[in-house]
Amino acid sequence: MTGDGAPPLLEMRGIVKQFPGVRALDGVDLDVVAGEVHCLLGQNGAGKSTLIKVLAGAHRPDAGEVRWEGRAVEFAAPQAAVQAGIATIYQELDLVPGLSVAENVFLGHEPARLGFTRPRELEARARALLARLGHPEIPPGRELGRLSAAGQQVVSMARALSRRARLIVMDEPSAVLDADEVDNLFRVVRELTADGVAVVYISHRLEEIRRIGDRVTVLKDGRTVARGLSAPRTPTAEVIRLMTGRTLEYVFPPRTAPPRDEVVLDVAGLGRRGEFADVSFTVRAGEIVGLAGLVGSGRSEILETVYGARKATAGSVRLRGRALRPGSVKAAVRAGMGLAPEERKSQGLLMAEPVYRNVSLPALDRFARAGFMRGGAELAAAAAVTAQLDVRPADPTRPVRTLSGGNQQKVVLARWLLEECAVLLLDEPTRGVDVGARSEIYALVRQLAAQGVAVVLVSSEVPEVLGLADRVLVVREGAVVHEAPAAELDEARVLDLVMEGRAVEGSRP
Amino acid sequence: MPDTPTAVIGLGRRRLLAGVAGAGAVAALAACTSNAPAAAPPAAPAPGAPPAGGGGNAAPGRPVTIGFSAPAADHGWIAAIAANAQTAAGRYPDVTFSPVNPTNDITQQIAAVDTLINKKVDALVILPNDGSQLTAQGTKAMQAGIPVINLDRIFDSPLAYRTWIGGDNYGMGVSAGNYVGQQLKAKGVTSPIIGEIAGIDSLPLTQQRSKGFADALKSFGFSVGPRQAADFTAQGGQRVTANLLQAAPRLDAVWNHDDDQGIGVLAAIQQAGRSEFFMVGGAGSANAMRAIQADNTVLKATVTYSPTMASSAVALARLVAQGRGLGDLVEQEVPASITLASATVTKDNVGKYLPLGFES
Amino acid sequence: MTERPGETVVAPPAAEQGRVERAAARADDRPLLARVLDTGAGRNVGLVAVLVVLCVIGVATADTFATTSNLLTILTSASIIGVITVGVTMVIIGGGIDLSVGKLMALASVWATTVATQAYGPVVMVFCALAVGAGGGLVNGLLIAYGRIVPFIVTLATLISAQGLAERISGKRSQIVTDPTIAAIASTRVLGIPLLVYVFAAVVAVGWVVLNRTTFGRRTFAIGGNAEAARLAGLDVRRHTVLLYVVSGLCCGIAAIMIASLTTTGSSTHGTLYELDAIAAVIIGGTLLTGGRGTLVGSILGVLVFTTITNLFILNNLATEVQNIAKGLIIVAAVLFQSRAQRARS
Repeated sequence: MTGDGAPPLLEMRGIVKQFPGVRALDGVDLDVVAGEVHCLLGQNGAGKSTLIKVLAGAHRPDAGEVRWEGRAVEFAAPQAAVQAGIATIYQELDLVPGLSVAENVFLGHEPARLGFTRPRELEARARALLARLGHPEIPPGRELGRLSAAGQQVVSMARALSRRARLIVMDEPSAVLDADEVDNLFRVVRELTADGVAVVYISHRLEEIRRIGDRVTVLKDGRTVARGLSAPRTPTAEVIRLMTGRTLEYVFPPRTAPPRDEVVLDVAGLGRRGEFADVSFTVRAGEIVGLAGLVGSGRSEILETVYGARKATAGSVRLRGRALRPGSVKAAVRAGMGLAPEERKSQGLLMAEPVYRNVSLPALDRFARAGFMRGGAELAAAAAVTAQLDVRPADPTRPVRTLSGGNQQKVVLARWLLEECAVLLLDEPTRGVDVGARSEIYALVRQLAAQGVAVVLVSSEVPEVLGLADRVLVVREGAVVHEAPAAELDEARVLDLVMEGRAVEGSRP
Repeated sequence: MPDTPTAVIGLGRRRLLAGVAGAGAVAALAACTSNAPAAAPPAAPAPGAPPAGGGGNAAPGRPVTIGFSAPAADHGWIAAIAANAQTAAGRYPDVTFSPVNPTNDITQQIAAVDTLINKKVDALVILPNDGSQLTAQGTKAMQAGIPVINLDRIFDSPLAYRTWIGGDNYGMGVSAGNYVGQQLKAKGVTSPIIGEIAGIDSLPLTQQRSKGFADALKSFGFSVGPRQAADFTAQGGQRVTANLLQAAPRLDAVWNHDDDQGIGVLAAIQQAGRSEFFMVGGAGSANAMRAIQADNTVLKATVTYSPTMASSAVALARLVAQGRGLGDLVEQEVPASITLASATVTKDNVGKYLPLGFES
Repeated sequence: MTERPGETVVAPPAAEQGRVERAAARADDRPLLARVLDTGAGRNVGLVAVLVVLCVIGVATADTFATTSNLLTILTSASIIGVITVGVTMVIIGGGIDLSVGKLMALASVWATTVATQAYGPVVMVFCALAVGAGGGLVNGLLIAYGRIVPFIVTLATLISAQGLAERISGKRSQIVTDPTIAAIASTRVLGIPLLVYVFAAVVAVGWVVLNRTTFGRRTFAIGGNAEAARLAGLDVRRHTVLLYVVSGLCCGIAAIMIASLTTTGSSTHGTLYELDAIAAVIIGGTLLTGGRGTLVGSILGVLVFTTITNLFILNNLATEVQNIAKGLIIVAAVLFQSRAQRARS
C-alpha cells in the first residue's frame, strides 16, 4: 500500500518558518499519500510541532509550497485546513470536558436546524462514528471528562472523521496510553487507513513506528534529513543515526559502585484506600529501585504517597529510621526526599520563572537570613548545579518555558541535587524527552546513586526500568506482585507480570 | 512521631499561650463594639413628638394599625426617618406600628408593601426607594381602601397616595442660595467664587437642590463656580473636597448639600488649612448644628430637610385612618399635599433647631 | 553523552555573580525596544506614559495642577486605596483574589471608632483596627486554604458580612472620631508632606521588599505561578495562603485608621467598591489575575493614574460620570498596551 507511484495527497516543499531569533523550519519536505501511516520523527526541537502547526493552518510558512490533492494551497486559519480535510489531534487534547461525547465530536458543526440543535441526530451520528472506530461501547451521551485518556483520544478521532478528514495528524497519541490501549489505537489507525485516510503519526517510541508505520520522514534541526523511508524495513539504528548521529536507542551507563548496606528508605505496609494496599519495600543508599506497572496500576500513587503528596491511610514511611508525618510533603522534603513528578509542566515547574528560581524553590531558606534573600548566593548555587547537569542554554536566568523537555527535566533534577537529597523519587523521568537528553538523564541518575542517593524510579518503559534499576518491583492493581533484581528479569518477563490477568486485546470492560 | 517530648511540650505551651492571648484579644475586641456612651445624654427631647396642644388631635381615637416601609438606612438621615416614625407611633396609645424590614432593593420593597396590604393595615406610610417604581403598589393599596401617606419621594400618580408630605429640595437650594447671597452682599463681595458640593447627581433631588441654589444666587447676580458631586458619604465628601480646594485657591462660600458627607467635607477643609470662606450645610444634622453653635469651623449655617417629616407622616396617617382632619384647619380632611419649608439654621437660631437635628 | 568525570563546578565569586543576569542581558540579541521593556521600570512603561500624558493635560488645562499642594492632595487621595492595593497585589500574585478589602476596612474603621474603643485611647483604636483587619483576613485565609472554598466566594461572603457587621455596630451612622490623636493624623505634616503620604510610602516600601527580597515574596510568586509544583517542592502552600490574606487584612486595618482620620469618621459606607478600584489598579499595573506574575510598582502606578484622573476632572470642574468613562477606557488601553509590550518582549 505504500504509494511510491500514487499521486501524493499532501506535498510540502522547502517549508521555512522563522520566529524571532529562531529558524524553526529551514526547508522541510514531506509527502503523504492516501491510506498510509506516515511517521514523522525527530528529536525535541527538530521542528515537528512547528511543521504540524503549519499543516494545520495555525502558522503561515515564510517560504515554501504546500500542495493538497495536487493544488497549491495556503491555509490562512485552522478552519481552512479543517475544511480542506486535514484534522490534527494535539498532544493536549482540545476537547471540552464538560460537554458530552457527542457534543465534542460535533463541536463547531453541530447538526442543527434553524439554530436549534438536534440531540437525537447528534447522538446517532456520534454513535455511528464511534462504531466505525471500533469503540461502540463509548456512550455518546456520557460527559467527556469521565472517559479515560484513551477514550478521549477516540473521541478526538471521531471528531476528525466527522469533518470528513482525509488526513489526520496525531501528535504523540500513545504518550498517555498504556500498552493495551496502544494496541487499540493501532487497530483504529489501521481501520482508518484501510478507508483511504492518511495518518501522519508522531511518536518518540521507535518500536511503535516499526509496528504501525508505512513510511518515515526524519527531521533534524528544522530540515528533512530523510524522507519516504520504509518504516518496517529501515533498521532502528539507522533511524536513530539520522535523528541524532548516535547509534543506540537507550544508552545506560555502566553500574559503577554496588549499593551500600545502609537502608535509607523503609516503606512498610503502606496503603491508600481505593488506590493500593500493603506496599512494603526498602531502598538502600546508592540503590535504584524501579517500579514497573501500567498506567493506573497504582505506581504513581505509591510514589506520591511515599512523598506525602497523598496521605497514606495505612502503613509508614521511614527515612533513615525516622518516621515521616503522613500527608506532609514538607516533612518529606525536610527529611531529605525529592520528587520529580510525572507531569513536569503542571506539577514540577514554574514555567514563567527563570531556571534558577525553579532550582532553589525548596531551598529558599538556605539563601535567606531572617527571611531576607541574600544577594547572589542563590543564583550562584543554582548556576553551579545547572552547569553540572549541563542544562542548555547555560543561562540560569532564562524562563524555564523556553527550555526543551529534556532540559526542563534536568532543572527539576537540579533542584534536588541542590537540596542534596537522600532519597530521589522519579516519576517518568524521560517522558517527552528526546533521545540525547535521555542518556544524560540516565547517566545523572546513576551518578547520583553512586554518590549514595537512594532512587525510586517509576517508568512505563520497561527497558528503562530494567536498564537503570538494581531491583524491580512489579505493581499491578494496587499491589506489588513481584520483586527481583533487574539482572534476573528481561523485558518479556516484566511485561508478562505487568499484564498478567489483564483482559485479552479487544475485550475491554 | 520521634519528636522529642520537650519540644512537643514547648510547642504546646506556646500554642496555648497564643491561644489564650488570642481569646483575650477577641474578648477585648468584642467589648469594643459598644456604642453606648459612658454617660448617655438624654435622647433629644422628643424630636418626633406630636406638637403639644394643637386642635385636640392628640385625643385618642379609634385604634389603628399603621404600616411603614422605608429604604434601609445607609445614611444618618434615613436612619433618623425610621427612628422618628417609630418614636412618633409610640406616643399614640391608639396606634399599632407595623414596620417591614427596610431594604434598598426595590423588588423587596414591593413585596414588603404587598405584605402590608394583605395584612389589611389601616394606613400605610411609604418612603419608596424610587417613587416611580413603587407607584403601582401605592395605587393598589389605595384601591384596597388603605390610605397611603407618601413620604418625601413622590409617586408618579396622585391616585397612588392619599396625602404626600415631604421636604422641598428646590426650596432648600433657595434657602442656601439666599443665605450665601445675603452674607456676601453684606460683606460687599462683588464677584465671589462660590463652590458647591452636591450629593449624587443622578438623583432628581440633587438636581432640584442645585437648581434652587443657582436660581437664588442669580437673584443676587452671582453664579456657582466649582461644583462637584460626592456620594452622600463622609469618604466621598472628603475626597471631592480635597481636590476641589486645589481647583480653587480662593473661595468665598461653599454649599454642601448634605451634613453627613459634610463631616468629610469639613475634615478636608481643616486638613487643607483653609478658612477664607464660609460654608452652608444641608439637611440639618445634630453634628452640623453643634458645629454652628460652637462657631469654630467654616460651617456657619445649614438648611434643613428634616427627617421629622416621618413623625408628621405617622401623625397624618393616624388622622386619615381615623377620618379626622387637622386640628387647626377648618376642613374635615387632612390636606392632600404638605410641602415642608426648609429653614435656615444659623448661630442665632440654632438653639431652637438643635433638638430636631438628627445624629449622623 | 555528557559523562564528564572529575569535573568540578566552581560557583562564581560573590562579586561577579548577580552580574550573570546583566551579562545575559548583554548577550541578548533582541531588539532594543524589547530589552528596554524587560527592565523593571520598563515593564510599567505604559502606565508611566499614561501618567505623563495625564500630567501634561493637567498642566495645560488647570493652572493649579502643578502646585505642590495639589500634588500632595493627589498623593493623600491615593494613600488609602494605595495601602489596600499593596495587600491586594500580594494576594493576586499569590493566585488568589480579595474582594473583601473595602468593607473589611469599613468594619475596622467602625470597630476602632465606637464610643467604647475611643474611650481606651488611640493605641487601642489602632490595635483594634489592625486586629479586626488581620482577623478578617485570617477568616478569609482559613476558609480558602483549609475549607477549600474558592477565594472569590469566600471574600465575597466576607465583603457582605463585614458590611452587615459594620452597619450593626455603627447603627448605620457615621461615628465621629473624637480622639484628638487619631483625628490629627490626617492633618499632620512632616517636612511639609502629610503623614498619610509617609504611611503610604512606608507600606509600599515594606510590601516591595517583602515581595522582591524575602522568601515570603518568592513563595508568593511560586504558589501563584503553580501551586501544585510549589506544594511538591515542599512549600506549605496552605499556611502561606492564610498568611497572604492576613497581610491583605492587615493593610485594610492600616487603611481603616487612615480613613478614620481623613474623614474624621468610622462608617460602614467607607470603602464602597474599593475592591474593584484596587483590582483595576492591579490589572493595569500588569499583574496577571491568574497569579504568579506581577509588580507592586505597577499597581501603585495604577492607583496614581486613577487618583490623578479624579483630580484632573475636579480641577476642570467636570462631572463624575465622565471620570468613570475615562477610567474604563484607561483600563482597556493600559491592558492593551501591556499585552502588546509583552509580545514585543518575547
